[in-house]
Amino acid sequence: MDELTAQLKEKLIKILNLSDVSPEDIDENAQLVGGELGIDSIDVLEMVVMVEKDYGIVINNKEIGERVFSTLSALSTYIRDNSSTFSS
Amino acid sequence: MSVPKTYISGLGIISSLGNGLTATARALQENRCGISPLQLFPLQQPPLPAAAAIDLAESSLPRTHALALTAAKEATHECTEAPQAVIIGTTTGGVLTTEHHLTAGLTDPQAYQYHGLTTVAEAVAEQCGCTGKAFTVSTACSSGAVALALALQMLQSGEVRSVLAGGADSLSYLTYFGFHSLQLVDPEGCRPLDRHRCGMSVGEGGALLLLTADRPENPFAELLAAGLSCDAHHAAAPHPEGKGAQQAMVTALHSASLQPEEIDYINLHGTGTPDNDLAEAKAVRNVFQNPPPLSSIKGAAGHTLAAAGAIEAVTAAILIKDNFLPANRGLQETDPELQLQPLLKTQQQKVSSVLSNSFGFGGNNGCLLIGRTDHYPAPELTQKKNDGLTILGTSCITGAGLTEASMDRLLHNSKVAGQLPLDEISAILPAKNIRRLKRFSRMGLALAHEAHRDSNSNEAPDNIFLGTGWGALSETHDFLQKLRETDEQFPSPLDFVGSVHNSAAGQIAILFAATGCNITSSGGDYSFEQALCTAESMLTDDSPAAFVVGVDEGHPHFSPLFDPSINTTDSLCDGGGGFSLTRKKIAGKVRVRPLFFQRSFAADSCTVKADAYDLILAGIPAADKKKGEKQLAQLRQKTGKSTPVLLYRELTGEFASASAIAAVMAVHLLENNVHHSLQQKRILLLGLGRCVCATEFSIQ
Repeated sequence: MDELTAQLKEKLIKILNLSDVSPEDIDENAQLVGGELGIDSIDVLEMVVMVEKDYGIVINNKEIGERVFSTLSALSTYIRDNSSTFSS
Repeated sequence: MSVPKTYISGLGIISSLGNGLTATARALQENRCGISPLQLFPLQQPPLPAAAAIDLAESSLPRTHALALTAAKEATHECTEAPQAVIIGTTTGGVLTTEHHLTAGLTDPQAYQYHGLTTVAEAVAEQCGCTGKAFTVSTACSSGAVALALALQMLQSGEVRSVLAGGADSLSYLTYFGFHSLQLVDPEGCRPLDRHRCGMSVGEGGALLLLTADRPENPFAELLAAGLSCDAHHAAAPHPEGKGAQQAMVTALHSASLQPEEIDYINLHGTGTPDNDLAEAKAVRNVFQNPPPLSSIKGAAGHTLAAAGAIEAVTAAILIKDNFLPANRGLQETDPELQLQPLLKTQQQKVSSVLSNSFGFGGNNGCLLIGRTDHYPAPELTQKKNDGLTILGTSCITGAGLTEASMDRLLHNSKVAGQLPLDEISAILPAKNIRRLKRFSRMGLALAHEAHRDSNSNEAPDNIFLGTGWGALSETHDFLQKLRETDEQFPSPLDFVGSVHNSAAGQIAILFAATGCNITSSGGDYSFEQALCTAESMLTDDSPAAFVVGVDEGHPHFSPLFDPSINTTDSLCDGGGGFSLTRKKIAGKVRVRPLFFQRSFAADSCTVKADAYDLILAGIPAADKKKGEKQLAQLRQKTGKSTPVLLYRELTGEFASASAIAAVMAVHLLENNVHHSLQQKRILLLGLGRCVCATEFSIQ
């Protein structure tokens, strides 16, 4: 697992208050929204804020949002492809 | 037998469409739009479209208060007698003023004296001379409609002859950035039901209706019926099939004994958000085989939040009086998925009945039916005696612990003041339900959870009445703090959703799938009593069981600033009490009955029996010590001086919902009366200070 994905797992646990979840519990290829973690549309907005604040990427389009937040690895790829601040 | 009719005898309105009935009617006729880039307060980014009220006179009070007072003045200008009650729906209260003061770093509590929602209703009551109930309903964007629904019940039951009711909300950083953080603001301006709609335009306004049981010479219209429901689905998103919205419409039609085809026009909630408009369209199509003409006026007036339901009720009265239907301003291309044909232009035609929808966060739905005067028969009387409620289960949270630990101490006159660690509260709740909740909502949820458990009932209550003086302080604080810290860029959408006063009641509804009436009251130190009175007014003889909860969180920064009874030097106290209740009488169970609630205390008119009580539990908030002590002395002249008095705040500590804990204590004392030391089997709970209210607990 790359550094960015590991970082995102930690951030998700913190901002979504997934107190009983550890980074190892999150499968980066599993469905993120509506999946086992109980993440829904408001959580997505919280993640949108985090992605803009920490990586400078604005996601304000529903179609892009659905694609980006489909899995954690999709999110990680999107950030890597679009962020000027993150390089790995 | 039929219920007395409810006449709309006075109207007052102010919004982005204008100040007053005439200006509003003209703007609607001409299909004008009040939405433009926000200029009301400075912003760091280019302003989004919003709907600021126009022609509002300067006032020393916060803007929500000024909007409510302006509407109240117009609604009562022909009034010769003061209304017997005032009910205001509001979500923001004095928050715009609070935001300015917080930014300026003001630390003097005096500067925040109008923060509380209840101060809006108090200001209106003061202006129009109402000495009775001045109640506040805070159910997010359905507040105005729910306030009118409660007023209707109070009039139909004969409890009062006149009520001034409606809603008011001012624009604020909280709502402007809150809806923006949820990506629910359309940068092009609100386009309800449009194929390309992408959100609302946040607005502000005030609208009040003087409702009377006595027919004035020329009533504007009649308030025929109301239907309330809760989605019990999600904190912010509507039920995707519009299930709760449908239930509210069906209940309203049924209460008025009207068929869907008898409705001339539907005033949609129609906020312009993709989800709301779709869910509402589905609900409308399920209720109406062939929907009548319909439109949303939010493309013209913006979404005025707690005022919306009242603004649209006033609009309905205007349409019936002036015989026209307003256009769905902002709509360019109708969304085919909705399968509705909103009015594209103002239409001149006779209007006799209007159905008006209002929905809010927490899945809180309110539907009102407004009809031409003398055109519809009075509906059949629903059996309702207002003779109290039977308590099936209780719960409380204090600094000493949950119910058992708290009662162990309280029944021995020991202090329970303090704050219970959040972990101990959370431990009794399902983890997946509380992940996103902070202190206020977790406490509210825990109280309902424990009260239901204590009732040993298989059936969960379907109606929820929650009282809170200050609501979700943690979420409100955290949202505003992040907003300031990140230069208005990154406040938390989760905090905004959780910041509404009805967040806890919405969570209780989800946990218990409670789809009935769901009302959050906010009356400062009398919030629990307001919730109890509201339950007494709303529940019919055959209503399913209900929760009544009183809860407040102590917040290290906000509580000492907002609550005048809390000093910065004191350690914080919080908690509350919860009840599961039913209308049915059950032998051996404690019954609770609100006796009176007055803003302006008149000992002569207080109906308490002499020597009828074993104990008086008196609540005197520290800020009103002298006033409260004087009132207590006057009341003791009537109850008999030998009746012992317990000043319960000495045990619970100072916080708005302390009376809910005292109420649980009263129930436990009566239930545990094994040695028959309580001969009268009656306890009186008194709230004193700014208001005087009495609640009787008895066991037979």
